[in-house]
Amino acid sequence: MLKVLIPTIMLFPTIWLTSPKWLWTTTTAHSLLIASISLMWFKWTSETGWTSSNTYLATDPLSTPLLVLTCWLLPLMILASQNHINPEPISRQRLYITLLASLQTFLIMAFGATEIIMFYIMFEATLIPTLIIITRWGNQTERLNAGTYFLFYTLAGSLPLLVALLLLQQSTGTLSMLVLQYSQPLQLNSWGHMIWWAACLIAFLVKMPLYGVHLWLPKAHVEAPVAGSMVLAAVLLKLGGYGMMRMMVMLDPLSKELAYPFIILALWGIIMTGSICLRQTDLKSLIAYSSVSHMGLVAGGILIQTPWGFSGAIILMIAHGLVSSALFCLANTAYERTHSRTMILARGLQIIFPLTAVWWFIANLANLALPPLPNLMGELMIITTLFNWSPWTILLTGLGTLITAGYSLYMFLMSQRGPTPNHITGLQPFHTREHLLMTLHLIPVILLVTKPELMWGWCY
Amino acid sequence: MNPYVLMILLSSLGLGTTLTFASSHWLLAWMGLEINTLAITPLMAQHHHPRAVEATTKYFLTQATAAAMILFASTTNAWMTGEWSITDLSDPLANTMFMTALALKIGLAPMHFWMPEVLQGLDLLTGLILSTWQKLAPFALIIQTAQNIDPLLLTLLGVTSTLVGGWGGLNQTQLRKILAYSSIAHMGWMIIVIQYAPQLTLLALGTYIIMTSAAFLTLKMSLTTKVSTLATTWSKSPILTATTALVLLSLGGLPPLTGFMPKWLILQELTKQDLPIIATTMALAALISLYFYLRLCYAMTLTISPNTTNSTTPWRTQTTQASMPLALFTMATLGLLPMTPAILTLTT
Repeated sequence: MLKVLIPTIMLFPTIWLTSPKWLWTTTTAHSLLIASISLMWFKWTSETGWTSSNTYLATDPLSTPLLVLTCWLLPLMILASQNHINPEPISRQRLYITLLASLQTFLIMAFGATEIIMFYIMFEATLIPTLIIITRWGNQTERLNAGTYFLFYTLAGSLPLLVALLLLQQSTGTLSMLVLQYSQPLQLNSWGHMIWWAACLIAFLVKMPLYGVHLWLPKAHVEAPVAGSMVLAAVLLKLGGYGMMRMMVMLDPLSKELAYPFIILALWGIIMTGSICLRQTDLKSLIAYSSVSHMGLVAGGILIQTPWGFSGAIILMIAHGLVSSALFCLANTAYERTHSRTMILARGLQIIFPLTAVWWFIANLANLALPPLPNLMGELMIITTLFNWSPWTILLTGLGTLITAGYSLYMFLMSQRGPTPNHITGLQPFHTREHLLMTLHLIPVILLVTKPELMWGWCY
Repeated sequence: MNPYVLMILLSSLGLGTTLTFASSHWLLAWMGLEINTLAITPLMAQHHHPRAVEATTKYFLTQATAAAMILFASTTNAWMTGEWSITDLSDPLANTMFMTALALKIGLAPMHFWMPEVLQGLDLLTGLILSTWQKLAPFALIIQTAQNIDPLLLTLLGVTSTLVGGWGGLNQTQLRKILAYSSIAHMGWMIIVIQYAPQLTLLALGTYIIMTSAAFLTLKMSLTTKVSTLATTWSKSPILTATTALVLLSLGGLPPLTGFMPKWLILQELTKQDLPIIATTMALAALISLYFYLRLCYAMTLTISPNTTNSTTPWRTQTTQASMPLALFTMATLGLLPMTPAILTLTT
């Protein structure tokens, strides 16, 4: 753990002490090095599932893929934001990369924590850097509104969670994930316990986000600069799913009945947000709503608590993390050239940027879960396990898949195909950097399907 | 002000508080509080501005009322029980009256109305003394007597203070008033836990003093008292602009900053005492306060003022103010959370 954590912390002096000329190069190289060291986590040595370096930080098959994803994303974020941060004063560039690196530090400690209270603190600690990235480096004035929504939705959900965790600590005497699953099952039967159950989950459902409490997400995505959108879609939403999987172990006897409304809401959300995507004009907003839709499937898979549900959820989280991040990067490359997020203003880009159209094509196919990509594997596992739980869910999940295919094609056709309008002549050609960025996003997606046991969690 | 006079005033300010700390007899404690009030009054009015004089008058009247009530409560107690010792406050009437008087003295809701008005009339250093040092003596008395006071009264004072502190600050544009409401909210957190874990009250008071000192000294350094002038502070000190946002979020209690420590420990104590509903209410009331801190962050750091400066920006010139205390308080405000286990060991 410290092999990655200490180099990550050493990123801060690297950022502030390198000469301005080498700032982007050294930070990218340094973070890529960290990302490759982090692959060592995949080599599990322990039989019990937990590989711990000390009592506070440990990895297990559930957290490892998310940790590696976190580390993998930092060099990509630095690559992606190079173009639009470069014109700013040097100290502001350094501050921006510092925020990204601090986010990675907090996220590693969040996913690696064995104490739930430490996970909680780090979960909250990611709020401040993200808030600053959104509201300081966003473009429109609505970013302030988006920042407020982001902060208050998350906090209003997670402060009850803190009280619920403290209550849990009081009744079991420990909050260590290593021990907690072996503790006495709780006697939960009163109304108070039901409220406690809800408090334990709602924070994570808001973070996921569940349909109904998702309003902060499209706002935050639309207003955030590209690195903010990337980290939000790829890792921060996954904090919610990860936290839920950790908490479900505790909540056992109550979840059977109490999860119904949330499962229904999650599945209904797939259809609703998918339909919203179908009539979306704003490119980033479309990708954001598609995240909500995919996360609805993840929430459903986690809430029914079968091994297949959990495996499918974690596979879908990893695959969706890479793919939605790639889509946000693509949207940003278009935005940096046309200065508009409106899809109707930037049509027919395939003629101008043929190779980029290939990236769009692969990313969209991955988003609509085409075989053999891991998105399909995750979705299939969740849909199967939901069908096994209640055959009626196939109506919702099947329709949801159809709509997902619909809006992914809509996004692709709208932005890449058709005649090129006259006003978008003279666009800046693509940099190698941008092609590299897309390659680094999509290669893991394609390679992961050849060895999915890296990311399917405990349940194989 | 003449330095000799200033020295006399400051030393009697210290004397009053230490007298209250050290006394076990009600009369002596009352006397300490009075010396304290009388010593700060000339400091408050030192600029001879009508607003300062008004603030001084308001402060004097409320503090005199509170002191008279304390005197009355202690004589009542002595009359009923024959005891002048501070820890033996057993008469219920005297208890309640005493708690009300001290709530008035430190500005707990619903006896808080003087606090924003007074603080707005003072200059920043006197304001800093008012919101830190002046809380110590009353808290020394509250901690000694809290065990005898009705828990319902304390809980009500605590919850209303956090709610009013959050609510009142929402529509303020004056920074000193906002800090006054922030003080009210923090006092609520300290009062709610005082019967269950007095050492946590002390911890919360200590972190509050650190955080609010950082906030006041920042404003002093950048000579700002309004939200609108906050927007151009980046031209005075860029680094201060970056840290102030974090100081404000620390006051709001966001992890991983120091401000989360007292809130976390107090919530833990409240759940231990089987009061989860009160704990949740307090936690959510802190969100209301967070809203106005966040607005200050927006105004100061996260947006850039649209007007351009044509002259040399002042950050190029060396400041004449002492920056070491500000630096120390800011560091403590931002980074004490990892020290929580050590601090807990020291306080318990």
